[in-house]
Amino acid sequence: MLFSLFSDKRGLSLRAKFLFIVVAIVSLPWMGIRYVNEMKSFLLQGQEDALLLTAKAVGTVLNERDELFRPDTGVPELLGGTNDVYAHQLESLLQVDGDPIDWGSQLDTLRDFTGTLGQECTSIYEPHSLSVRHTLGFLNEFLYALFMVDDDVVLYRADDLRRLDHSDQLRMTIKDSSGEIFRYLLITRKSGRMSVYLMDKQWRYPLTGEPVSNINAVMVEVDGGYNIELRLPRRLIDADSRLGFDIVDVDSPEIRLPRDMIKTYPEADDEQLSRVMILSPEIARILGGLNTQIARIWILDTEQRVRAVVGNPGTNIPSKPESRSFFDSFGNGYNRLFDWLLQMPSDNFRDVETSESHRSDIVITKALNGEQGSRRRLSLDNRAEILVAAYPILSAGSVIGAVVVEQSSTEVLKLQDKALKSVAAVTLAAFLLITFAIFIFASRLTIRIRRLHFATEQAITSKGRVRNEYVDAFPKSTGGDEINELSHSITSMLGRLSQYTRYLEAMPDTLAHELNNPLNVVSSSLEILSNDSKEAGESKYMHRARKGLQRLRSILTSLTEAANLEEALEYEHREDFDLVDLVDGCTEGYQISFPNHLFILNMDVTTARISGNPDRIAQLLDKLVDNAVDFGEINGEIRLGLSVVDNMAYISVTNTGSSLPEEMKDRLFDPMVSVGSKDATQSHLGLGLFVARIISEYHHGTIEAENLPDAAGVTLTVGLPLVATKSD
Amino acid sequence: MSRTIAIVEDDIDQRENYRDALMAHGYDVQLYSNRQNARQGFQTRLPDLAILDIMLENDMDGGFDLCRELRALSPELPIIFLTARNSDIDRVSGLRLDAWDYLTKPVNLEFLAVRVSSLFRIADTLNSPDDHSDKLVVGLLELDQNSMSTRWNGEPVSLTLTEFWIVEAMARRPGHVKTYEAMMQVTRQSYVEKNTINGYIRRIRNKFKEIDSEFNLIQTVFGIGYRWQPES
Repeated sequence: MLFSLFSDKRGLSLRAKFLFIVVAIVSLPWMGIRYVNEMKSFLLQGQEDALLLTAKAVGTVLNERDELFRPDTGVPELLGGTNDVYAHQLESLLQVDGDPIDWGSQLDTLRDFTGTLGQECTSIYEPHSLSVRHTLGFLNEFLYALFMVDDDVVLYRADDLRRLDHSDQLRMTIKDSSGEIFRYLLITRKSGRMSVYLMDKQWRYPLTGEPVSNINAVMVEVDGGYNIELRLPRRLIDADSRLGFDIVDVDSPEIRLPRDMIKTYPEADDEQLSRVMILSPEIARILGGLNTQIARIWILDTEQRVRAVVGNPGTNIPSKPESRSFFDSFGNGYNRLFDWLLQMPSDNFRDVETSESHRSDIVITKALNGEQGSRRRLSLDNRAEILVAAYPILSAGSVIGAVVVEQSSTEVLKLQDKALKSVAAVTLAAFLLITFAIFIFASRLTIRIRRLHFATEQAITSKGRVRNEYVDAFPKSTGGDEINELSHSITSMLGRLSQYTRYLEAMPDTLAHELNNPLNVVSSSLEILSNDSKEAGESKYMHRARKGLQRLRSILTSLTEAANLEEALEYEHREDFDLVDLVDGCTEGYQISFPNHLFILNMDVTTARISGNPDRIAQLLDKLVDNAVDFGEINGEIRLGLSVVDNMAYISVTNTGSSLPEEMKDRLFDPMVSVGSKDATQSHLGLGLFVARIISEYHHGTIEAENLPDAAGVTLTVGLPLVATKSD
Repeated sequence: MSRTIAIVEDDIDQRENYRDALMAHGYDVQLYSNRQNARQGFQTRLPDLAILDIMLENDMDGGFDLCRELRALSPELPIIFLTARNSDIDRVSGLRLDAWDYLTKPVNLEFLAVRVSSLFRIADTLNSPDDHSDKLVVGLLELDQNSMSTRWNGEPVSLTLTEFWIVEAMARRPGHVKTYEAMMQVTRQSYVEKNTINGYIRRIRNKFKEIDSEFNLIQTVFGIGYRWQPES
C-alpha cells in the first residue's frame, strides 16, 4: 500500500507523478548521449576530410612520378612474412665472396633461426650441430642473402654420387606470380663458388644438367661452420612471388642423409613460403617522413598492388591501465556501459596487415578511376571503425596509382572519450543522486501526507465527533514546512471543532436547564392563579396554557434524553432476557396507550434471547411505535413482528400510510431529522428515531426503514444479535 | 406554632411563588437568594425544613455546600433539593448529602405542599417514636407509613420519599401490575415519563440489591408497568 502508485480512489498518486517527472529527467542524459553521438559523427566527418586532405597531399607529391611505378624500377624487397625478415638497402657494393665483412652495419639485422622454426629429418636436434643466422639486402638490380651456418661437420658434395641431396646445401624456393614453383639447389664440391641447379620435387635430381648461371653464390668454410653469400637478380622475384630458404645439414659421410633442416618460413608447405612484396624504396623514402602511429598510408599501383606502406592505423597495443581514480570503483562495467552507450569502437583491433600485397576497396576502385573518396568501414574483426580516404595519383592526366590513408576512428575519439567519460560519470552520479533524492523526497512527502490523512480520518468519528485522544496523537515533526503548517492548522481546526462539538452537545442540557427555570415560574404562577381565582382556573385559556406548558416540557425532556443517552448507556449493565416477553408485553401496553390504533403482533418464534438492557429495548420499541403512530394513518393498524434469522432477532414495526421519500431513508435515524407530521400539536424534533438508533447501536444491532410495496406504508426494522446458545 | 420553611432560590419569581403557595398551607417562610444570606439567616435561626436550589447566582454548586453546612448544624433537618438539574450525578450527589428528597423543576406546587407535609410527619415520627406505628409488612418487606422508612429483612433501606411511595404502591397489592400511569400519580410530580419511572425503579432495585444481592421481587411487565412479586 505504501508504494502503490495509484491512490485509493481514482487517478495517479503523488508518488506516481513524481516518478513520471523522474522519467522525464532520465531523458536528459539520453539526449546528452544523442548529442555526443552526433558530435562524434561530426568529428569523424571532419577526420575523414582531414584524411582526404592528407591523401591528396601525398598524391600530389607523387604526381607525375611515373618512374616510381614502373615495374622494372620496382625492386622486390623481401618481407619475411611472419618471420619478418626484411631486405635492407645495402650501403655499398657487395663482393660475393662469402665474407660477411662488407655487409657492414647490416650484420646487426641478422636473424637467428636456431631451432626457432620447424626442422625435419631427425628426431634429436642439437643446436651446436646446426644453427643459422640469416639476413637479406638489396642494391640496384640485385637481391643479396647472407647465411652464417654453424655446423660441426661440413660435408661437401661427393663426386661419385648423382643424387644431390647427400651433402650440406642451401635450397631456395621461388613461387612466382603465376603460382609456378622453382626449386634452386646451391651446392659445392669445395669451399668457393657454388653450383646452382633447378631441382625436382624431391630435391634429388636436377631437372637439366645445366647449372643456373644468373644466380651467384659462394660458400666459405669458417671455424665451426660455413658462410654462404648469395646474389640473384631482382627480376626473378615479381610482385606476387614468394621466397623461402632451407639449410640442409648432412653430417655422416657414410650414410649421407639430411640430418637437420632449418627453414626461413614456418612450414614445409610451399604455400607458406615467405611472402614477397614489391615496395618502391623511393616511395618509401618519400613517405618516410609521414610514418606515424595514428595513420597508415598505402601507395597502390593501377593493379591495386601495394607499392609502399607506412604507419599504423591505430594502436594495436593493449592500452595500459591508466590512473582513473574516479572510475576505479566503477571498474570495467562502467567503461563497457559507456562504450556501449556511445558506441565506442575498441582500440584493440586487428586489421589488414602491412604485408598484404593487394588492397581492394570501393574508394580505391574509385580513386583508380580518378575520383577521390572516403568512407568508414569496420576492421577485419569488427571491433573498430576504420576511416579510409583514397586519392588518385596522376601523371599526364591518367591515373598511375592511388594513395590510401587509413585511420581508426578510435584514434580520433580517444582523447575526447576520456574527458567525456569523466563528465558523463559525474553527470550520471549527479543524476542518480538527484533521482534518488527526488524519490526519497516524494516518498517522504507522500508518507507524511498519508499519515496526516489517516490521522485526520481517525480524529473524527463517522458521526463527526472529534476524538481528542487522536488529536493529541497527531503527527508532529520538527520541520516548519507547509505540511507541518497544514498539520498544525488541522490540529487547531480539530481543537476548535471539538470545542464547538462539546458546546453543541452541552447545548440541549444547558438549554433545558435554562428553560426549566422560567417554565417553573410560569407553571407555578398559573397554579397559584387558578387556586386564587376559580374563574381563572376554569378558563379555557388556562387550559390551553397548561397544554402549551406540557408540550414545552415534553420537548425539553426529549432534548435531554437524547443528549445524555449515550453517556447514560455506558453506565448501565447488561443482562440476558427474552425479547418474546418484552415485545408481547409492550404491544399489550401500546394497545392501552393508543386505543384508536389496532396493534397486531406477529411472532414466529417462541424465544429470542439477547443481551442488553430490557428497559432500553422497551424504550427503543416505544420510539418506533411513537413514530408509527405519529406518521401512520389516523386510526390505522400497526403491525409488530419478531423473527429470528441467522442469529439475529428482527423486531419490525409497520404502519400503513404514505411512503418515506427515498432520500430520507438513510437520514431518518440522524438527529434533528423529521419528515414532518400532520399533527401540529406534536413536537417533532426528530430525536425519537435518533434515540432508537443509539440504543440499537449500543446493542450492536442494526436499524433501517423500508417502504412497503404499493406505497402502502413504512416498516422500521431493528436487528439485534442473539445470545450465543450453549451447545451441549 | 406554625412551622418555618427556608427557601433558598436565586430567581425571585419562583422564590415568591413557592412562598405564596406554602404560606397558603399555613407555613412560615424565610426567603434567601444566595448562600451568604442563607448562612447568616440559619445562624440566627434554624428552619424546620429547607428547600434548596443547587445553582445559586454565580455559585454552581452553592446548594450542595449549603446542604453540607446545614447538615452540620442539624443532622435531623429535612432538606429538599428543588432544581432544574436533572442528571443522575446531581441526584446521587444530593442524596449522598443526606437530603431527604430531590425534585426537579418545573414543580407542581400542590405536590410540593404534600411532600412538605409528608416530610414533617416523618420528622415528627423520628422525634417522638410512636409505639403503635402504622406498619405494612409484605414478606420480608416492612414499610413504616408514619416515618416512611423501609426495611428489608430487618435491614433499613434508605429510600427517598418518591421511592418510598412507589414501593408502597406496589407492595400494597402484591402480584398486581402498577401501570406507568398509576406510578406517575404516585410520584406526585407534575410531569413524569415512562423513562423517569424506569429510572426510579432502577434506583430502587439497586438499593435493595445493596442489602440483598438476590433481591428480584420487583418485576417488569414490559410496556405496562411493574409489580411486586409475592414471595413464594
